[in-house]
Order: sequence, then structure tokens, then C-alpha cells
Amino acid sequence: MSIAFFLCLAALFIIAAIGTPIGYAIIVSSIVYLLAKGQSVGIAGKTLMDGLYQSFILLAVPLFIVAANIMNAGTITDRLLRFCVALVGRFRGGLGHVNVISSLIFSGMSGSAVADAAGIGKIIIDMMTRSGQYPRGYAAAITAASATIGPIIPPSIPMVLYALVSNTSIGYLFLGGIMPGLFMGVVLMIMNAWIASRRGFTLEEPIPLKEFPRLTVNAFPALLMPVILLYGIYGGVTTPTEAAAVAAAYALVLAAVFYRSLSLKAFYNILVESARSSAAIGLVIGGALILNYVVASENIPNRMAQALAGLEVSPLLFILGVNVLLLILGCVLDATTIILVIIPLFIPTCIHLGIDLVHFGVVAVVNCMIGLITPPYGILLFVINAVTRIPLGEIISEIWLFLAILIAALLAMILFPDIVLWLPKQFGYKPL
Amino acid sequence: MKRLRQFANAVAALLMFVMFATFILQVVIRYSARLEWIAEAIPLLDPARFGWTLEFCLALWVWLVFLGNAFVVRDQDHVTFDILYMAVGPRLRRLFVILGGLAICITFIMSIQPTWERFYILRLKKTATLSELFGSWIRMRHIYSVYILFLVAVVIRYLYYVWNAIRKGVPTPAPLSPHHGEGRLDQ
Repeated sequence: MSIAFFLCLAALFIIAAIGTPIGYAIIVSSIVYLLAKGQSVGIAGKTLMDGLYQSFILLAVPLFIVAANIMNAGTITDRLLRFCVALVGRFRGGLGHVNVISSLIFSGMSGSAVADAAGIGKIIIDMMTRSGQYPRGYAAAITAASATIGPIIPPSIPMVLYALVSNTSIGYLFLGGIMPGLFMGVVLMIMNAWIASRRGFTLEEPIPLKEFPRLTVNAFPALLMPVILLYGIYGGVTTPTEAAAVAAAYALVLAAVFYRSLSLKAFYNILVESARSSAAIGLVIGGALILNYVVASENIPNRMAQALAGLEVSPLLFILGVNVLLLILGCVLDATTIILVIIPLFIPTCIHLGIDLVHFGVVAVVNCMIGLITPPYGILLFVINAVTRIPLGEIISEIWLFLAILIAALLAMILFPDIVLWLPKQFGYKPL
Repeated sequence: MKRLRQFANAVAALLMFVMFATFILQVVIRYSARLEWIAEAIPLLDPARFGWTLEFCLALWVWLVFLGNAFVVRDQDHVTFDILYMAVGPRLRRLFVILGGLAICITFIMSIQPTWERFYILRLKKTATLSELFGSWIRMRHIYSVYILFLVAVVIRYLYYVWNAIRKGVPTPAPLSPHHGEGRLDQ
């Protein structure tokens, strides 16, 4: 490690640790690096702009954010929820199942776990706690756990970011997420059923079956969204980026014309809000691009690959080790930061060891999403706390069982790569 | 000040909307291109006229990111590691704000001139497709110049934060820190 690189890392850790925005901390530390190297400081800005200006797939990020915001603002989420209650509300732990199922459907429409928790999650927590059938901590915990599925089933903003840093096909990554997402849904429902019967949660008043057709029709246009998205991408109709725009347009038409629940003012606010989040995340992406330049010019990933090759680490051991590390980092770092800054370090080693990058990517994204609910720093816990005012302590005390089952699911995905790769293979993907 | 903020928000919303609309246009044009009579009937929809959409969106995205961070993104919207920041007392927190702010100001000021030099050569480089839309005067430097504006604006912004922190100290963050905005949908 050169002195310049050491100074760069030191600057990054210190400046980020004292609460300066990560994006700025990266730019500052890269300037420190260039100064120490005696190179022109202008390289930082040039690299950043070149990188942002070349990466077409990144355009999906702001568009998926717009789509998610529109869906949460309109009544699309309410309609979906009523449909889910009619579908699985009658079983023991019914609203818990509704929670998971609605997350599964919603995750096929939005690429963001936070959008899921803040939108559909908030409504369902109100339903679960209204008449006291469920402890509020439990309602919040299962919502947080099921929201992690959001970015696993396509579309997915984190997978777009991973595709950027790993040069993997976004189409295959999205496909690779479908089975793991459904798998996570199933294990969460099993856990919910088990807890519900053990703790004796009361049964819901079932919705009469004759209501079901009406509720289905009502929710049908919204249920069509995942189909349109997937057909658009895999039917070759649109690129994944364009699919994001089409999703946003479809949500807009649904909310404004079909359900008539979106005013012009609300739409304007959505645009401002989306611009804000997109710009903030764009800054971190830009920072990651500079940092990748620094790391590459220091030849770090290759050196790491060589060092590990010297130790003769098996691929399985490596991927397990990386996942343990990511879980630990997930307790204190943001998923975006991990995907953009930490994961690129491991990619050359993966290639070297013959680990498939789609498998690795999906597993890493699942891991980072689990990181969103690990205390003390779990964004989803904070978001639910912010929108429902349920105390963090109550949420955390109920989260452990869900966390454990999700980690078990992650382990299964690592040990059986076909959970991830089976579907991409059907579409012609050739794993390493 | 409030007016300015509203104006900046409106510009950001406009960039966002135009980007969204351009993408839709791109998809529509691709499919209307298969029906030749459309281009014949309405010359404005001739697909040959729409080579610029993708690069235009990239330019909008870059401007959105940097204008956004300069003028629209609030402190709580940023991706931040704030465990330590939240845990320490008000005096240390104040020191954190001052140190972080100064680090940004000093390095950013140092980088303005060299960055401009790097961009200088781009005054010659034409964009790939944007001349179709804006006319032949446009160069890469025009697109990249937003980064310089961003550097200047961020320096002013952080000088103001530092100055405020020195004079008045920093407000105690609410138990639910303002750093966890509800608006961050990137994960």
C-alpha cells in the first residue's frame, strides 16, 4: 500500500466517521490521494464526470425512484393491500401473511425496500395494530423483514448499482433475483405462521369470498405492473432503463387517470422529492467512480486476488467469508455504500476463483438488504420508526427471529447457487 | 432565500420531468419507427430526428446530480454514517461539523482551478449527438461546466455551515436523527 493510498483511506474514514456526507468524504479523500501522488487534482472531477456521463444503466435509478414515489402517493398501494387481505387474511397470523404477500407483489413494481416500508408497510402496520391483535413491535418487525424483498425481486435499484460496478448483465441479475425473492417470502410466511400459532394471535374476520372478484378487478391494473415490466425487459421491448420509465409512466396513468388519486400539485412534489433522492444517491455513485479509479490505479483488487490465491482459499470459503464480512458491515454501513465501495474490491478475486458474478451479486444484494434490518444501524427500522412512531426498542426486540430465518435463507442461496441461477439459465445464461 | 429555494426545486423537478418524458419519447419513437407511414405523415416524428435522446438524458442526469447537490439536497437527504455523530456530546459534534466543513471547503477550493484546466480541452470536443438538438455550438465543456458550479456552491454552503457552527454551535439532532430522511429510496 502506497503512502498516498494510506492517506486517502485515513481521510475517507475520518471524514466520513464524523458525519460528513459519504459522497463528499470520498471526493475529499480522492483529492488528498491525488495531492499526495503529485498528480493534478483536476483528475477527480474529470473521472467523476466521465463516469457519470457514460453509464447509461444508471439512468434507471432516478426513474425507479419516480415510479416508487408515484405508487406510494396514489391509492395503488391501498388497492393491492385490500386484494391481499381477501387472499390470505383468513388464516392464522393472517395480516402477517398479507404483509409478506403485499411486499412480494409490491417488490415486483418498485426497486426500493424503503419505498416498500414507508408506503405499503405503513398502511399495513396501522391495520395490524388497530384492534390490538398484534403487538406493534411485531407488526413493525415483520414489515421491515418483508420489505427487504423489495430490491431482490426485479426491478431493483441496488442491482443496477451492482451491475455498474461489476459489469454484469442487468437482465440476468434481475432474473436471478426472482427465485431468491420468492424463497425469502416463503420462509417469512412460515416463520409468521409458526409465531402466530405459538403466541395465539387472534384470527381476522374473513372477507366473504363473493367479495373477491370485485377486489381483484379493482387491483388488477396494479397487479399487471410486474408483468409489464418483466415482459418489457425480457421480451426485448425495452431496455431495463426504459422499463423504469415505462413503469413510472404506467404508475402515473394508473394513479392520475384510472384511479384519479393524484393531483398536479402532488405530482410536482413527487418530482422534487425524487430529484432530491436521485441527486443524493448520484453523488455517492460519482464518489464511488472516483474511488474505483484510485483503487484500480493502486492495483488493489488484483493484489488481493493474488494474496488470496496464495492462501489457496476455496471459492465456497471465500464467498462465506465475504458474506460474514458484509453482514457485519451491514450493521453499521448503508447498503448503497457497501455495494458501491466495498463490493468492487472483491470482484477480481471472484473472477479469479471462478465464482459466478450473477450468483455473487444476487447473494451480496440479499446480504445488504438483510443489513437494512440489522440493529443498530438498519435504515428500514429507522424508516418504520419515523412513519409509525413505534419505538425502535420494540421493533428490535421482535426482529431477531425474522433476521435469523433470513440469514438461513441467505446461507441456502450461497450453498445452492441454483436457487439464484436456475432461472437465468433457462433464459440462456451460461454461469462460470 | 425561500424564493431561491423554491426556484431551485422547480428547476430540479423540471429536469426530472424532462428526463422522464424523453425516455417515454424514445420508446414511442422506436415503435412508431416500424410504421413508416407515421414518419411520412408527420415529419416531426421521423425517427432519424431522434438520435439525441439517450445522450440528452445523460446530460440531464449529470445536471440533476450536481445542481441538485448544490441547491436542492438537504442535509438529511445525504447518505451519511452518523452513529458516532449522534453519540457524542454537543461540543464534539460542533467540532465535527467544523472539521468536516473545512475539509470540504479547502479541498474543493483547491480543485476548482485544476478541474477547470482539465475541462479546458473539452471546449473543442463535440458531443456525440446533442448538436442535433441544440445546434452546432454545444461542446462537452458546456455539459461538464455544471461541476464547477457545484464546487463553488458547495464551498459557499459549507463555509456558511462552519461559520454558523463557530458562532452558534450546532443544534442537537432529534432522537430520530434528521440524517435518516424518509425520502431516500435507493435501497
